[in-house]
Amino acid sequence: MLMQVLIKDKISKRFAVSTEDGDKIYHIIIGNFLKKEKVTLDFEGITLMTTAFLNAAIGQLYSNNQYSSEFLNNYLSLINVEEQDAHLFRLVVKRAKEYFANKDGFEKNSNDSIYGDD
Amino acid sequence: MRKIYIPSKITSAIDGYELLLRLHSEFEKTNNEEIHFSFLNVVWFEANLAAVLGAIIEELEWRGNTVKIVETDNYSRINNVFFRNGFFPHHGIYIDVISGGNTQISYKMFLESEDQLYNNYIQSELLNNSGFPKHSPRLGAEIKRNIFELFENARTHGKCSHIHTCGQFYPHYRKLNITIVDTGKTIVSNVREHLNNNLGSCECIDWAMKMNNTTKAGNTPGGLGLGLIFDFINLNKGKIQIVSSNGFWELKEGRVRKLDLNFSFSGTIANLEFNLDEHLLYHFADEVKDLNNIF
Repeated sequence: MLMQVLIKDKISKRFAVSTEDGDKIYHIIIGNFLKKEKVTLDFEGITLMTTAFLNAAIGQLYSNNQYSSEFLNNYLSLINVEEQDAHLFRLVVKRAKEYFANKDGFEKNSNDSIYGDD
Repeated sequence: MRKIYIPSKITSAIDGYELLLRLHSEFEKTNNEEIHFSFLNVVWFEANLAAVLGAIIEELEWRGNTVKIVETDNYSRINNVFFRNGFFPHHGIYIDVISGGNTQISYKMFLESEDQLYNNYIQSELLNNSGFPKHSPRLGAEIKRNIFELFENARTHGKCSHIHTCGQFYPHYRKLNITIVDTGKTIVSNVREHLNNNLGSCECIDWAMKMNNTTKAGNTPGGLGLGLIFDFINLNKGKIQIVSSNGFWELKEGRVRKLDLNFSFSGTIANLEFNLDEHLLYHFADEVKDLNNIF
């Protein structure tokens, strides 16, 4: 089964900017994954997007090692993304992988960079 | 009743913020009083900084004070922008006829939960505003994205009662200034708690502005919004200033300036200046065409 999710309908707006709206999409995605359904996120009509929205909608998928990259590449696809927004997906995915790979490591590195230990 | 005279010139320079923060500090322990802010001596007050004054007034009102803006006649003869942007009317001061251009982005207050209203505000004030100088759609989209990243940051980190915002176009200089102020938890306090140390105020802001640094906890990653704004402002040759607690941090013409001020603000002021010149269009070095197998 393939579920096509028209973002602008699910969040009732053309600006995909808030964390809360990102959360809505995240829950739709995992709801379908639980049913072993593939999901296509359709960004048709979305005129503005932020990393705050994408962190919630997509970044969260990497939490607690819920889903592997292989699984996500197989079960989640993106269509009708504006060219100007495409780079945000790569940033968010890269950031989420690093963030969840080692939360503690991030905090240590942050401290070290301030105090000049690295 | 206590009356305070607003200084003659308030700009978005360090001394302008010092003056605004000093006003804020003057009434730090004032509760349940009537306070008059006099515009008698004001000659110039940078329009977008109305958001800061609005936040200061709101904070005073929370503490049971009644705040009035008085003696505005002289200033109104010099400049009517505080009527055009709605700041004076918001505080009960009106004039019969408002003349002048359409270069203002209205002064508004938003609750943390009013992201949809903020969407509508940006739509009407920026997208549908005939006074907004012509610029490319790509540049316009990036400007709006930056404004929303900052608004989301204020909403999710400040945990404030209201977010105050106001802006101004300067068609001659082809600049857009917008100021977003929250009176919630400061960046300084969030960063100190997160790092569990006592870093200087401006150093805390510096930390928060770096890509990948976040004070967020839980399952939603963060740390991109402010870093993206930093990158964009650099490319756009614009300006961003952050004042939080007594920390001041500025990125302008590629240079970061940071210092601790003499006075403190119980929230965060973010002042953005965008350059609308077409020749400052840019391309992301890492533009992505193919979204297959991106995960």
